[in-house]
Amino acid sequence: MNRPHAIELVGPEGVPLRFELASLIERGFAFSFDLFFIGVATVLLLIPALLAGSIVEDAVGVVFLLGLFVVRSFYFFGFETLWRGATPGKRILDLRVVSRDGGRLGVDAIFARNLMRDVELFLPMVVWLAPATLVGASPPWLWLPALAWVFVLSALPFLTRERERMGDMVGGSRVVRVPGRSLMSDKGKVDGSESSIRFSPTQLEVYGEHELETLARLLRTIDQHEVAHDDVLSVADTIARRIEYVGREPVNDPVTFLRTFYVQQRAALEKKLLFGRRKADKHDVAG
Amino acid sequence: MNDTAITPRSVRFRQAREREWKELEKIVTIALNRGLKALDEEQLQQLPRLYRDVLSSVSVARSTAMDRNMVDYLESLASRAYLAMYGARKLRRHALFHFAMVDFPRRVRAMRLEAAIALVLFLVGCAVSFLLVRSDVGWFYSFIPADLAAGRDPAAATHTLRESLYGTGDGWLGTFSSFLFTHNARIGMLAFALGFAAGVPTALLLFVNGLNLGAFFALFADRGLAIPLLGWLLPHGIPEIAAVILCGMAGLHIGRAVLVPGPRPIRDALRDSGKEAAVVVGGAIVLFAYAALIEGVFRQTVHSEVLRFSMAVFNAVWLVTWLTLSGRFSQRRDR
Repeated sequence: MNRPHAIELVGPEGVPLRFELASLIERGFAFSFDLFFIGVATVLLLIPALLAGSIVEDAVGVVFLLGLFVVRSFYFFGFETLWRGATPGKRILDLRVVSRDGGRLGVDAIFARNLMRDVELFLPMVVWLAPATLVGASPPWLWLPALAWVFVLSALPFLTRERERMGDMVGGSRVVRVPGRSLMSDKGKVDGSESSIRFSPTQLEVYGEHELETLARLLRTIDQHEVAHDDVLSVADTIARRIEYVGREPVNDPVTFLRTFYVQQRAALEKKLLFGRRKADKHDVAG
Repeated sequence: MNDTAITPRSVRFRQAREREWKELEKIVTIALNRGLKALDEEQLQQLPRLYRDVLSSVSVARSTAMDRNMVDYLESLASRAYLAMYGARKLRRHALFHFAMVDFPRRVRAMRLEAAIALVLFLVGCAVSFLLVRSDVGWFYSFIPADLAAGRDPAAATHTLRESLYGTGDGWLGTFSSFLFTHNARIGMLAFALGFAAGVPTALLLFVNGLNLGAFFALFADRGLAIPLLGWLLPHGIPEIAAVILCGMAGLHIGRAVLVPGPRPIRDALRDSGKEAAVVVGGAIVLFAYAALIEGVFRQTVHSEVLRFSMAVFNAVWLVTWLTLSGRFSQRRDR
């Protein structure tokens, strides 16, 4: 089945926003972190429980049992409500819960998706560890379908198109990955250090978006002085040959040559884009 | 050389807006890491405007810019700004009160068909086991596992049964209450979550709960202890059974969406009913806590039949009033 890597949410402004779906490995790690934090919280609960117990004996059980219930049942709900769709584990991995319809993620949706978590995760665990407590002494025709059903349920994120688990279906939610990205220096800027070469329209017909991006990445690496002079030279030479450029510039000053070519190539491709023609790479004849 | 003739359009586009993007990036990072509360007045006012601007920037960049890094940056910035703007809705105290007094009872009334089915399943369970145990006491052991019976079985002497109704709980009332609450609340949540399998497991859970109650009732009634048992059971039983029925109702509501989605696609039906029903479970958890408090403390300390029945009547009256009347006459307000 064709499973997309990203989904588009249409927010209240009507502009579609692209969200990268979280992979199951990322979600698994986030969940493991959260389980670990729940474990730590459970151990830490002993402190207030014992403190309360030193005042009133009965309070040990009250504090511990209620605390355990709150931590187990409301950890995910609480954090996802207060932290805009993220638990501590999700935050470590830059994951967020969003509403599929593009609207605000409601408290009801968060509650629904986390109520299902118990059935999806803890039920299969019980089945693995102690099947007898769940199915008892029932005949095989009863417990076999029950078991199959439990496993299909847990396998849902592997089967569904947008990696939804049952809780996501019931809550109308999706888990996405939203890493912050940095804006790098603009290599298209003209700052007077370019050479006065003017490439002809035919010379700018050869390459497409893909090559342009590769060149931009190379220029940014050159800025950080991490490229050997010979490599720059060979790239400049390859381009010069390919676009049939005649002159000494690619050999004398390859960096300036490449920067000048990048600026003009990008300007040419963007001009095409204005007319709705996007040239993907050098094999793309449509552009 | 004429610079403006060569300079790519997207470079000028970026130069004109970059300062605002950086400003938004700063605001969004604070909002996502520390919440909107961490923003100062000016940043808070700027966020919606900068967000709308970045939305138009991202649309323009997608269709006119040949700079992948910039487009990716804007996509990421726009989606993070969206999360800062439209992250999860916050619970407010006023909203909580409105929920308890208006939304919750309305939701319950909107699911009255499921409530009726849940109640019938529970009562039929009661009736079946009651009749079977009355006809042959041996049935008791089929309905009640030994650990649940805890000695309260047909082999026990009548005075043992009577004493079990007036226990004092050895002074660990708080712990006992907490245990009852967490145990019952988890069962209630399970009844909801299992509902998506066409409601079958939920229906079974309700029926089995009814079987348990009916069997106990038959046993005690057999020994002439029907009235003391009711005095023992009803004060906490009314809110507790109400909560069980509510959770069962919520589970059946999802089950119904799976079986009879109506004109909507099944996914949409499941999503809508899931959100509606989850809210009911939230309310039921509060009822479970209230019931456990009565069960763990009131029942163990108050042994007077009159007081016990007064408590039962009190609970029944406010529950019925609340669920049938509350919010019926107030203005409809969109959520």
